[in-house]
Amino acid sequence: MATNQIDPTKWVDKYSDYLFNFTIVRVNDRELAHDLISETFLAGLKSMKNFKGEATERTWLISILKRKIIDYYRKINSKKGRAEVKINYSDDSNEGDWLEEQAPDRFDKTAEDIMENEELGLAILDCMEQLTKKQAEIFRMKTIEGLDTEAICNEFNITPSNLWVIIHRARTTLAQCLEKNWF
Amino acid sequence: MTKRKSLFIDCSEAAFNCDKAQYNEASFYEKIKIHLHILLCKPCKNYTKKNTKLTKLIAKSNLKTCSEDEKKVWKEEIKNQSTK
Repeated sequence: MATNQIDPTKWVDKYSDYLFNFTIVRVNDRELAHDLISETFLAGLKSMKNFKGEATERTWLISILKRKIIDYYRKINSKKGRAEVKINYSDDSNEGDWLEEQAPDRFDKTAEDIMENEELGLAILDCMEQLTKKQAEIFRMKTIEGLDTEAICNEFNITPSNLWVIIHRARTTLAQCLEKNWF
Repeated sequence: MTKRKSLFIDCSEAAFNCDKAQYNEASFYEKIKIHLHILLCKPCKNYTKKNTKLTKLIAKSNLKTCSEDEKKVWKEEIKNQSTK
């Protein structure tokens, strides 16, 4: 008995941000991430009947996406020499002749930091699912896309004080949720 | 949040200003009012702390959103595929 229903028409609205953030930290290329996600959606559609409903739709899509990302790296690796990291001292794109300038930045992020940040991003998106659709939408536009208050107000046809109330509610919910799940 | 009145502004106004400050939209005067308020009001102090932390976390997570155009492309693809 399937406990989780599948509905491809809602995939894009519901999961694209999550999938996108999941992909972008792994491939670091917008266009590529876009292609991988469309492949994922298509593969998902094809194998819809294999979805048993044991996992949530999102987990299921993520598992497909993971395979796609692995496939991608396999493919570029099989083109020999392409995937090699070439360390070339006199690279035209590298300005600055000093050795110090070419040394890695010791204060740069470590792999662990990056991983943690990625998980954090997904945790925030997870928590955003607790918000109502309007709250999530407005919060996303304001906080992540950094749009002007005025622009958002015009789009949703609300007053600024309406907007701030919505933002306030969204922030309180998110803070509570993150406090539970992150700290 | 409790509705405890304290000097100069009440808690709801403090919260409102605090939210605004998270987006750098609070004026200098408003910021002063917040700081005066949270000196006297513990719940609001907690709220400000949490709110600031949330802002920092979001900035740190470097979240990205996909554009509407990208979403449209995906929707089309799904539509085409499922009608086949």
